[in-house]
Amino acid sequence: MALIEIKNLTYTYPGGSKPSIDDVSFKIEKGEFVLITGPSGCGKTTLCRCFNGLVPHFYQGEIKGEIEVAGINTLEHRTCELAKHVGLVFQNPENQLFALSIEKDVAFGLENVGLSREEMRKKVDWALHQTGIYDIRERSPHEISGGQQQRVAIASVLAMEPDIIVLDEPTSFLDSLSAEKIFEVIYRLNREQGITVVLVEHRLDLTAKYANHLIVMEQGTIRLEGEPRDVLCNQETRLIGVGIPKATLLYEMLKKEDFSLGNKPPLDSEELADQILEALK
Amino acid sequence: MSVFDGLKFRRVNSLIHNLDPRIKFVYVIGVFIATLLFLQIIPLLALFVLQLPFVFLARVQRQWLRSLRGAAFLASFIFLINIATNFFVGGYTLTPEVVESAAAMTLRFVVLVESFSVFFLTTSPDHLGLALEQSRVPYEFAFAFTTAVRFVPVLAEEAQTIMDAQKARGLELEKGNLLKRIRNYIPVLIPLIVSAIRRSLELAEAMESRAWGACKRRTNLYRLCLHRGDYVLLGITVAILAGAIYTYFFVSIPTIVNLL
Repeated sequence: MALIEIKNLTYTYPGGSKPSIDDVSFKIEKGEFVLITGPSGCGKTTLCRCFNGLVPHFYQGEIKGEIEVAGINTLEHRTCELAKHVGLVFQNPENQLFALSIEKDVAFGLENVGLSREEMRKKVDWALHQTGIYDIRERSPHEISGGQQQRVAIASVLAMEPDIIVLDEPTSFLDSLSAEKIFEVIYRLNREQGITVVLVEHRLDLTAKYANHLIVMEQGTIRLEGEPRDVLCNQETRLIGVGIPKATLLYEMLKKEDFSLGNKPPLDSEELADQILEALK
Repeated sequence: MSVFDGLKFRRVNSLIHNLDPRIKFVYVIGVFIATLLFLQIIPLLALFVLQLPFVFLARVQRQWLRSLRGAAFLASFIFLINIATNFFVGGYTLTPEVVESAAAMTLRFVVLVESFSVFFLTTSPDHLGLALEQSRVPYEFAFAFTTAVRFVPVLAEEAQTIMDAQKARGLELEKGNLLKRIRNYIPVLIPLIVSAIRRSLELAEAMESRAWGACKRRTNLYRLCLHRGDYVLLGITVAILAGAIYTYFFVSIPTIVNLL
């Protein structure tokens, strides 16, 4: 059975005139690295809120369809029960840290669940090491950089040992270099710890190479879905206004000029460079 | 913003900072009671001097002096009022006794300020929240307290940004009379409040996502427990109180005027 299964989901915010999510169905398997992209206001964030039950429990509104995450029906279970299975990381790192020290913030979820101090300590230290912020664990959130803050946010959901980590544009407040570091942390968690990752992101240049499942949304619906290379080479993707990786674009231009490059469209500049070097030999 | 600088707690690792905030609070209350027992200048002077070692052990002399300087206005006010009432009530004569009792009243106030400032300068908000929690204050209150402290610098920064943005659009904050100046701040306050509300919604969402309210008995990563230093401080507090009460009942305290 799939880890996340959504069937004919339609949701309208209270007071909304048209649905933010309109008849969406898809499956996410365990261990996948899923990338969700699409123009602003296409329902990506709303979809993220569905994964841990913030929609409909926190936001109310009208919901239809079925949604099951880790075998739990999110319409019937509260967010705090789902928090053990789904970790949600938000866009603004500042507004998701509430404690006066980083360590305490990472422990926040575990404290809520009522874990014993010894176990908590072990999990907190593990999460801090995984995200590379162990050395700054006693600092206060406003003393550290945005990139570090976002890593704290990741650590704090990681400490709960969730099956799925959902990240809603986690790098939109960060520069490219810190963003890249965040993506590397996420990718490592996916590969080494086997955690399923759902990443909502515009920067496909940096992220497409990590994903093995790409979903393109537009106006509350899923327009395209599948293997990233296929989706990104599809002409329809371009019309929606998705930032296709430059390497993929260049590949297609060269292809059009009958440059023989092999049949696998590249997702980042390194892959493309390899292909060009191969062709020039 | 300089106004908020005082609210930023500086983490210092010292003997006094590491003491249990609950015991520190008991100490402050002890000094408070001892101070209220006396109206004579000599015991108050003793209480004042008694607290200096704490200030130096905690290495907060500079901030401590600043807080005393802040109290200077009120202290001189107390001094003058005391002198004035004694002068008018006591038949328009200014005796050395009058000056001394006014000075004692002022010193009493200074000792109170001194002890409370040592407490707040050496207790991290984190510790204070923890102490609240372990004193069976409902967790929601303790959480509200620490979160408020956490967001003071964030909101201060935001206020500055909004002020700069509105100034860039031609808002003149320092123009006109007092009433006009207060009105000038409305275009700063409204966006600040709106964004604070929005921020609080995001915070609620993040808390909810991290299992807020999952179980009744919440645990805590840290726990306050008493160490040797705390027992020593407790002993000092008891000694000060006992000494103060003994002196109050059994020792006739000379005034400085008498001594001279």
